[in-house]
Formats: sequence, C-alpha cells, structure tokens
Amino acid sequence: MVNTSGATTDPSPASPPSEAGRSSAFAATHWSIVLSAAQSDPTRARDALSKLCQVYWYPLYAYVRWRGHSREDAQDLTQEFFARLLEKNWIGRADREKGRFRSFLLIALKRFLSDEWDKARAQKRGGGAALLPLQFDSAETRWVREPADEATPEQSFEKRWVLTLLEEVLKRLRTEYEQEGNADLFAELNPCLVGDRTSLPYAALAKKLGRSESAVKSAVHRLRQRYRNLLRGEIAQTVADPGEVDEELRHLFAVLAKKG
Amino acid sequence: MDTKRICPSCQKPLPPDVPLGLCPECLIKAGFNTGAEAGGENTGFMAPTVEQIAKLFPQLEIIEFIGKGGMGAVYKARQPALDRLVALKILPPRLAGAAGFAERFNREARALARLVHPNIVAVHDFGKAGELHYLVMEFVDGANLREVEIAGRLAPEQALAIVPQICEALQFAHNEGIVHRDIKPENILLDKKGRVKIADFGIAKMLSQTSDQASLTGARGVVGTPHYMAPEQLEKPTTVDHRADIFSLGVVFYEMRTGELPLGKFGAPSTKVLVDVRLDQVVLRALEKEPERRYQHVSQVKTAVETIASTTASGPPQGEALGREVLARDYVLDLGSCLRRGWTLVRSDFWPLVGLTALVLALLAVAGSAGGVVWTNSPGDGSRSGTTSSGASVLALLLFGPLMGGLSLYFLKRIRGEPANVETAFSGFRHRFLHLFLAGFVMSLLTFLGFVCFVLPGIYLAVAWCFTLPLVIDKRLDFWPAMELSRKVVRRHWWKFFCFWLIVLLMNVLGVAFLIVGTFVTATLAMAAAAYAYEDIFGVAGTAASPSSSGVGPSGTKVLPSLLPKQPRSDGGA
Repeated sequence: MVNTSGATTDPSPASPPSEAGRSSAFAATHWSIVLSAAQSDPTRARDALSKLCQVYWYPLYAYVRWRGHSREDAQDLTQEFFARLLEKNWIGRADREKGRFRSFLLIALKRFLSDEWDKARAQKRGGGAALLPLQFDSAETRWVREPADEATPEQSFEKRWVLTLLEEVLKRLRTEYEQEGNADLFAELNPCLVGDRTSLPYAALAKKLGRSESAVKSAVHRLRQRYRNLLRGEIAQTVADPGEVDEELRHLFAVLAKKG
Repeated sequence: MDTKRICPSCQKPLPPDVPLGLCPECLIKAGFNTGAEAGGENTGFMAPTVEQIAKLFPQLEIIEFIGKGGMGAVYKARQPALDRLVALKILPPRLAGAAGFAERFNREARALARLVHPNIVAVHDFGKAGELHYLVMEFVDGANLREVEIAGRLAPEQALAIVPQICEALQFAHNEGIVHRDIKPENILLDKKGRVKIADFGIAKMLSQTSDQASLTGARGVVGTPHYMAPEQLEKPTTVDHRADIFSLGVVFYEMRTGELPLGKFGAPSTKVLVDVRLDQVVLRALEKEPERRYQHVSQVKTAVETIASTTASGPPQGEALGREVLARDYVLDLGSCLRRGWTLVRSDFWPLVGLTALVLALLAVAGSAGGVVWTNSPGDGSRSGTTSSGASVLALLLFGPLMGGLSLYFLKRIRGEPANVETAFSGFRHRFLHLFLAGFVMSLLTFLGFVCFVLPGIYLAVAWCFTLPLVIDKRLDFWPAMELSRKVVRRHWWKFFCFWLIVLLMNVLGVAFLIVGTFVTATLAMAAAAYAYEDIFGVAGTAASPSSSGVGPSGTKVLPSLLPKQPRSDGGA
C-alpha cells in the first residue's frame, strides 16, 4: 500500500479544517500572513511559513533529487533551504504580483540551488537554527517510486505538488470523519468523491451500508461538499488573495492534464 | 507486474502513487464550483418553497418546483392572462449583494431577450421580486439530453438530427455576439415534438464576476462544467470566444455517439462504436485544443454533419460508403491547377517543406541503398552480400509505407491549413502503422511482380495505387480497401494520372541532372500537387462544400453533384 502518512509530520493540525474553508473568505490565509507580516511581525510570519512548509516539503525534496543531486546531498540541501527560508527572511523577496506560495517556493529553491552549487557542501550546517522535522527516509522511498518520464524537474515538481495537496486534503477529511466516529462511512463513500454526481452507485451503497438510498445520497452530498471546502481552503492557504483560488485550481488541473 | 488501473470516471490511467486510489484529475475537478452541485463555499442555496414564490409573484400561477442547480431554482408556472406555461427561474440570492451584479443581470437579460429563435429557450421577462432576481422563460415540455441519454433512447440517426439544430441555435446566438459558455447535455432540451431547445444562454456570463469576493463561481468569471469546457475556458478565460461553444458541442456530440466523455487520450468515435468515419473528422476538429484549429463557425459544423447525414446509408463498411460517395461525384481532376497550387505552397514555406521531404526521401534512400553499397564493395562474396542487400531492401519496404504515409499526411494538413510539424510527418509510425506497412509492402511487391512479368501491369498499378497511403492514414481505411478505392478512383482518369506522374518523373530526372538537391525540390512539389489532387477528390467533411452548392468543391476545383448528368468536363485538364 502507499505510505503517505509517514511523509509529512503533523504534530498539530495547521488550523481546524472546517475553519480553513470559512477562513478563505474572511480571515487571513497562511500565505497572506507571510506576505503581509514579513516586516512587521516576523515571528508570526515564520510560524505561518513553517506550517506551509510542513505540508509541502516533499515536492521540494523530490525536485532536488530530480535535479540530479544524490540522496545525501538532497537531504542536506532541503534542510538547509528551509533553515535559511525560515531564518533569513527571504520572504521579503516574494514577488507580490505572483502571489502564490507554490511559485515562490520553486523560484526560491532554484535560486538557492544555483547559489549552493558554487559553494563547497562538505560541512553540514544548520546548527542552532530551528530544523523542520522532515522524514527523509520515507521521502527517499517515495521518490524512488516516482514514475520516470520526460518531464522537466519543474513539471515534476508541480505534479508532485498537486498530489501532495490532494493527499493533505484527503487526510484532513478522513481525520474529520474519524473524529466524528464515522471512519467506516468515509472508507465506504470516498470513491464517491470523484465522478458525476448523477452516476454514482447509490443503490449498491445503500444496500451495503444498510441505509436508505436518500440517506446515502445526502451523506455523499455532504462528503463532497466538505471535501470541496477543504480543498479550496487548503489552496487558499497558499495564495495571497482568496479570489485566486479558482485560478490556482485551474492551473493545478492543467498541470495534471498535461501528460494524460 | 505493473497493473495499470483506470479511473472509472475519466477513463485515464491512474498514476501509482495516488491518494486513496482516486484519480487526481477528477479530485481537482471536484474542487470547482460547477454549478451542478449547489452549495459553494458558505451556505447552501436554499430554494424557496412554492408558497414563498407564489407570494412574490402574484401575477403568476405557480404550479410546481422543477429543479435546482447552481444556476438557480426553476419552477413551472402559468401566465393566466396569456394562458401559457412558463418556467420561472430564480437566481441565487447571494448574488444580489455582489458588486455590479444588477447591471450585468440587466444587460445579459436584455441580450437574451434578443435571442428569438425556434431552438433557443425564449426569455419573456426578467426583473427583481423582493430580494430575488428572476427570469421568466419559455417552458419546454420534454426532457434534457442527459435524461434521454440515461434512458438509453438516443438512436444514432437522432443524434445526427439533433446536432444541426444545436448548431443553428448557436450560430444565431454567435451572430448576436452571445457565447453560451456552458453547453452540456443538461442544457439541451428536447420537447415532445423532438425539437431542440437550448437553455441557460448567457446565465454563465450573468453569474460571473470580476471582483474578488468569494462567490458562487470564482473570481475570474470561470463558469461551466469542467468536462465540457474548452481548454481556454480553464486556462485563459479572458480569451474565450464563440469557439469555446464549438468545443463543448464536440464533447456533447462525442458523448452522444459513444456514451463516453472525450478525456485524456480518447479514441476517435469510429474506434468505439459503429459510426461513419467522416464523423471522426468533424468531432476531432471540434475538439481541437487550440481554438484556431477548430471550426471557426458553428455553421461549418452543421454543414459537415448534414453532409454526412444525407449521404449515410445504414451500415455499409466505411470504405464502401466513402468510395461510393466519391465515385458518385464525377470529380474533375485539374492537374495544372494542382501543380500550380502545389508550387505556391512550396514557395510559401520553402525550407521546411523541402527539408522534411528531403529528410524522408534520404531515409528511404539510405535504407534502400545500404545493402547495395555493401554488394558493390564486396563482389566476391556474392551470397552474403546478396542477403545483406535484400535485408536492406526489406528495411526500405518496412519503412516505405509509414514514412510516405506520414509525409503525405503532413502535406494534407498543410494544405488544409492545419498546423503540422515533424512529428506529423513521422506519425505513420504511431498511427495506423500496421496498415501503412501492409499497404507499402503489398503495393511494392505486386508492382514489382507486375514489372517483372510484363512491365505494363507494373506501371498501371504504380499509378493506380498512388492514393493508397493517404487513404490509410487520413481516412483510416484498411490497406486493402484503400488500395481498391485508389484503384477505382484513378481508373476513371488513368491517363491523366499517368501523365501527371510522368511529368513528376521527368521533373525529378531534371532535378537530378542539375544537382541532386534539385530532386528534393521537385519531389516536394510532386507531393504537394498530389495532396491537392487527393483533397479535391476525397475531401468531404470539414469544409464548407455541400452537395447542393453550385459545383464548387474544396480547394476551388469544380465538382459536379451526383444529381447532374454524368458528363466529365475536361476543361483545364493536364
């Protein structure tokens, strides 16, 4: 089975999932905090940034590996990158026009890699600075299983980003259902997250779960709605302006659709 | 073992590392606010009850609640004064607060009111009642296309009959400057008399916003159901124009005939169901990713579909249908015109065309002559070099079909104005490889035998089969039907073709005499002229020509409709 839970650490959920949905419209998102509080309240900014990094670090590690660095080097580079990101206030460099965490992160990483390439990497740094607890072993195992295709590292990064995002959202959704005591329901109904609402096998599910068909229909509807809220909420965390969620969604869709 | 799993919804293979085993594309798609599922981000849109509506609309007799979608709630009502049934559509109240909504609503509703057409659901009235924006529309007593498809009651002929009506409606709207943006089976209504009515015109635009408030549809005005949306609606919504409707129509058409959505690497309709192969071209052209490559006007789609519908017999194999149709039209082959147009084309894009032709010919030459070189260099080793040279010839035979097929497809695409590149020229190895190879092999073999036996049969066959490869790769015929069709078509004007190829041969000889490279230019010209000839004879779907037009065929040559007396007009022949 796929080992997804080991790849990201989540000591405490970034924010209660249901709030993320509502917060996209009114409260500040992680990324918007990072952008706005970079100068005025660096601690808060760093906090928000580290929350984002804890979710999305695997695509970065994968990118470094795709660029051809060895496993050990990739580990060092990734840790070093995050250390600098969090400590050196690179946030000031974020281009406000782009407004997306995803693109900022990739650009910063590329710049970092081209800088680091010139320096000797013999010594391991990071002493004293706050390290993110990243699980590199499981990351390497995952990376080895990544499909090899002719995409550029940047394209692979974006693809991995989308998949990481989806994993995170589904994980949160499942946790929500588990906390409500509905783990079995989630396990049965989650295939209904995809596909056309009208063509789902309601009758079969009703029989399996021992409920009426209309109960199943409304349960599925609620599941899909909560999923959508979570997905949009999570995307909103990575954009500066809640209005950009759709654009980011479209971009992510295009990333997936590119190679069929 | 690597078992590829397929997503049950979009039919694409699943990457190995997917969360919960669900298809990532579909998961992302589920994140869009499609409008088909109400709710959106904050509170769900609760449709008012019939009583509440009746209070707001005293001038109407509210009969029942029909349905609810993201675009609003619809009620069946009656206008007592006129004694007619209407559909009352209430738009989601949340929108009333959005900036600029009221003016957008008024503007769009007024534009919709201009759309008076038998195939468009008419707008009778619109306004605001209390807090609710509403539209009063024509009531259509029937079902939508989705319901008909699900009930399994859509016959192939009906599909062919529905599409032209949709096209008429769309063309009318496009002429008025209105793009639907949300063509999908749910919006295509069929009344009890079998008439098509398109609903929800302009609703998409009405509901779009440019402000950055959290909204039903999102910030940049992207609306529509993802499955049916044109790529530019997703990626560059500001560049969307009427051609997005053409794409959506293509999706609907594809789904009508095959029962599936054209997602990812989808197969042409003829590979999925028994359908006229000409339909493939229509559907695939409508589904081109770039708007420039699609039909530019819906009326072109209509003409193409009507042509197919009027000349479709019930069920003969594709080759026969095409053959009969082509032979019934007594085409006139104007070789001088083909050569002239070929030369214009070559001149206009000289280096790419010549370069590509040269590349292909060089490849064939290398494959064919490699053995020959070995043979002359080691004359003492007769048997071994003999087998080497025959080995190399087999290589040339193997490559001949796909290479020349791909090259001829390249030329065809160029003269049709479709983009083509090096990949197209070598696509013979990806598409229809088997039949191209078989065609090349069998043709070469039989022609060779013909030469060896009495020379003349060889010459006859070589000329007669000149259209085989394009027919295999372009019209997707099998190799033997393609050879037969080419033979039958050429047979009628064999001498003209013979002269044409003789001229081509002489040109190439001249080319060799001047410089070897001269051959490449003349060969390119020959390919271009042959492509024009092919298109004149076989080009049917995808053009503005129709059987009833005044005898002007594709590419401007004269085509006599089969209704006129069969009298070949030999003006302008070579």
